Amino acid sequence: MSGAEFWIVQALNGLQLSMLLFLLSVGLTVIFGLMHFVNLAHGALYMLGAYFGVAMVSATGQFWLALIVAPIGVMAVGMGLYQALIRHMRRQGPMNQVLVTFGLIFVLVDLVRILWGNVGLGISVPELLHGPVQLFGISYPAYRLFIILLGLAVMLALGLVLTRTAIGAMLRASVENAAMAATMGINVERLLLWVFALGCALAGLAGVIAAPVFSATPSMATDILIPTLIVVVVGGLGSLRGAVLGSLTVGFVQTFGAVLVPGLASLLIYALLAAILILRPQGLLPARQ
Amino acid sequence: MFYQTRAKNLTVLLVLGGLALYAVYGGYFAREIVVEIALLAMLAIALDLVAGYGGMISLCHGALFGIGAYLFGGLTALVGTPVWLATLAALAGTALFGWAVGAVTAGIGGIFFIMATLAFGQMAYVIVFEWRALGGDDGLAGIPRTDLAGIGLDTGDSLTFALLSLAALALSYTIAAIALRSSFGRTLTGIHANEERMRALGLNVRRHKAAAFALSAAIAGAAGLLAAQHTQYISPEYLVWTVSGEALIVVILGGIGTLAGPLVGAVVFVALEHVVARFTDYWHLVIGILLIAAVMAGGRGLYGEIERLLAPGPGTGKGGDGA
Amino acid sequence: MKTTVRTVTAALFAAALISQAAFAETKAGLLLPKSGNYAALGEEIDAGVVLALEEAGMADDIRLVREDSEAKPPVGLAKTRKLVLQDNVDVLIGIVSSAVLGAVRNFVDGAGVPLIVANAGNVDATGKDCSASIFRVSFSNAQLNRPMGTWMAGQGIGKVYTLAPDYAAGHQMIEAFISAFEAAGGEVIGSEFTPFGKTQDFGPWLSKVGASEADALYVFYAGGEANSFLSQYRAFGMGETVPLYGPGFITSPLQTAAQGEAAVGIRSALHYIPSLDTPENNSFIAAFTARFKRQPSEYAVQGYDAARVLIEAIRVGASGRAEIAAALPGVRYTGPRGPLQIDPATHNIIQNIYIYETVMSDEGITQKLLDTVENVRDAANGCDLR
Repeated sequence: MSGAEFWIVQALNGLQLSMLLFLLSVGLTVIFGLMHFVNLAHGALYMLGAYFGVAMVSATGQFWLALIVAPIGVMAVGMGLYQALIRHMRRQGPMNQVLVTFGLIFVLVDLVRILWGNVGLGISVPELLHGPVQLFGISYPAYRLFIILLGLAVMLALGLVLTRTAIGAMLRASVENAAMAATMGINVERLLLWVFALGCALAGLAGVIAAPVFSATPSMATDILIPTLIVVVVGGLGSLRGAVLGSLTVGFVQTFGAVLVPGLASLLIYALLAAILILRPQGLLPARQ
Repeated sequence: MFYQTRAKNLTVLLVLGGLALYAVYGGYFAREIVVEIALLAMLAIALDLVAGYGGMISLCHGALFGIGAYLFGGLTALVGTPVWLATLAALAGTALFGWAVGAVTAGIGGIFFIMATLAFGQMAYVIVFEWRALGGDDGLAGIPRTDLAGIGLDTGDSLTFALLSLAALALSYTIAAIALRSSFGRTLTGIHANEERMRALGLNVRRHKAAAFALSAAIAGAAGLLAAQHTQYISPEYLVWTVSGEALIVVILGGIGTLAGPLVGAVVFVALEHVVARFTDYWHLVIGILLIAAVMAGGRGLYGEIERLLAPGPGTGKGGDGA
Repeated sequence: MKTTVRTVTAALFAAALISQAAFAETKAGLLLPKSGNYAALGEEIDAGVVLALEEAGMADDIRLVREDSEAKPPVGLAKTRKLVLQDNVDVLIGIVSSAVLGAVRNFVDGAGVPLIVANAGNVDATGKDCSASIFRVSFSNAQLNRPMGTWMAGQGIGKVYTLAPDYAAGHQMIEAFISAFEAAGGEVIGSEFTPFGKTQDFGPWLSKVGASEADALYVFYAGGEANSFLSQYRAFGMGETVPLYGPGFITSPLQTAAQGEAAVGIRSALHYIPSLDTPENNSFIAAFTARFKRQPSEYAVQGYDAARVLIEAIRVGASGRAEIAAALPGVRYTGPRGPLQIDPATHNIIQNIYIYETVMSDEGITQKLLDTVENVRDAANGCDLR
């Protein structure tokens, strides 16, 4: 492997991590932007996605089916939680939201432990995505390329929906000024429910695609939470572009931190977060200037 | 505004007295539990001071607790510093760290403040975890307890240590109550109520918030150094953000912005943990459901209910006095 | 004739009575994680303990008091104190995490209660911090890795890259491997430690290894980290270019079901593998599968042996803390993992280390034994308890 090749592979590694973080954080950030709701249980939904995927694959052997069904399953759970809890928490302060969703982590993690046990469970990927592929003379894992492409596709689709469709316009209007949007005849309540559901589905999707790489464990609920929150804050709460930039920043800082300064790797993202909070607390690209 | 009401006096005395009796007559494990409750209550009081009265919802109090433990443990076990000096250094060190966090985050509000404290706490955790000399995740053993043989006390005895922990809790409560009753405390609740107005009145809000955070940190650090003395062993576990989350649970359960509530919350939390754990390995599930129910039900936690029982009358329904 | 039969029967009956009476009830505190990341290991060890007691017919003679350490040091210490001071146990069994072992070490040492460690591998616990009261029947981190270093050099493997999580056990395992490997003529061309306990993307490190000139990769990963490391290693297609070696936790029978094909071909070392073809192991596996409806792992054997050494000590007449502690160093027998005894100098176990390859057979994933390093005794590291 030549020097240039090495750095290209590392850049792909950074991109792959960024895309995973993007899928996780975009739901979280849009939910925040729209309803000012902090969902610490977002990581737990990601965990659920992974376990739903494992269950689907072990029942049917179909990875592609799991890729569709698991996010829908997580979305259903999310909508249930929305109706039962989150709807009532919206007007309360951030502390109560933090607490309720912190409690939700406890509940969901223990439910997963009861249903699937403590041992990590894996999914094998379809033959097509097995092993490395040659790309312009560089060997890189097919599955990681798949994650990158899927992430980019979701990014593009969300971007198009947000800028080119009526729903997107309603959404942007509601983020900008919910009261105004409501008087314009937008059913903000229903919009909120569906945005929340979509955020959950994306977390579930991230869970299924992460399962073959990291395997499904109960601890993934809390492991991923902090990096995701960091992405959201670094990028700027509530904006799609912020989530993109935040994911890329955190993904690349983590990857190249691991390569260049191995001893400090785990410290770097916290230092990044602290620096952003002090110098630019609204994040790099906030929804509202 | 903080008032040391009759209901508060009664609650604090009942909790302290009850725990002391339990320690004396409850056997060995009871004393372990009493220490656990006392230290958790100190941490929760520290958190209530900034969160309940200052509006600063911190997720780094676990880290402050751990920094106190590690400053004391590191100095005594590795450097051989005398216990009294290490105690002072641990208190001063955590206060300084708290002051820095308070000063840096003073301009940040709401969820951003929570995130910022989370970041600082996790940074402290990572540093301690990675620091080889401190034992990494294997922790640090061989930490001495304060030697009080001079006044006829054997701190190695579990009952003595439990009662000393209760004394430390009483002292922490008193210090926090005095601070909150002073003009300093009134200014703090003033900032919580209306930061702009306080600024317009010429107050240096940043300096004031930092000072409040430093005081809170010193109390959290005191709890941490007592924990180090209690187990005579420390590990990075103390600093993880979920410890801060649990402290917040205790504050909410007991009643935020009541100062006496955290004592009740700590008793209930530890008792629940031990009772539920006896029946199931999944005690987090039960705690989680209770937490959600408690927050959804609203109100001012357990202390709010106690106050309603003790002092029925107009205007007591809200229970708290956090602002 | 009739009288002889009667006399013999009577004698047997009397003997049975005496042996019943000889075993005063022993109270054993079982301290294992029932929640948190190590809960699966706790479950396995618990099953092993139960099996040993039932097999010996001593489930009534040794009463277990179970406590959950949550794998958290302060909790583990509080529970240990409770077991010793309130429940008055005669002996303690368990401890998965080395951090918990570090936390309880001084207390157990001071109280003089024998502690039979069933997992935690910290070298110092039977080295510079060893104690007359602490016995270990699992392994020490160095014990598993040193034979592998010598063996790999003997296989003609020249240049090795190492990876492990950045915490105490990771460092101890890798240090032991490197010292033995280099002493036998090998060369370590890179050694890195990845952040511990997070959902980890190993991509950056794997790419670094791929770009190096390493002939082999030596890693220590266990539990969930082992699964994700292995699948990422496979995804990078490194199986053909940089073969993987390490202590066998990476392909523990507890994980191989989740790992599937990815585990095949990995060469590693452990103190027990389920495919050992000995009468002791065959009957252990039969009993374990019948009782728990699943295959045992090395953790189950650690639990089994932790209880078994106690049973052997009681059988020679030991009762109470001091006598059990005095009898344990004399215990030796051949169990599922082969011959074992407790080193009187350090109280660490002396046992065989098995070097094996994970292979696919008709019945699924199993282990092919490549080499046995017999009676591996850990270096005393400044400990002398004799």
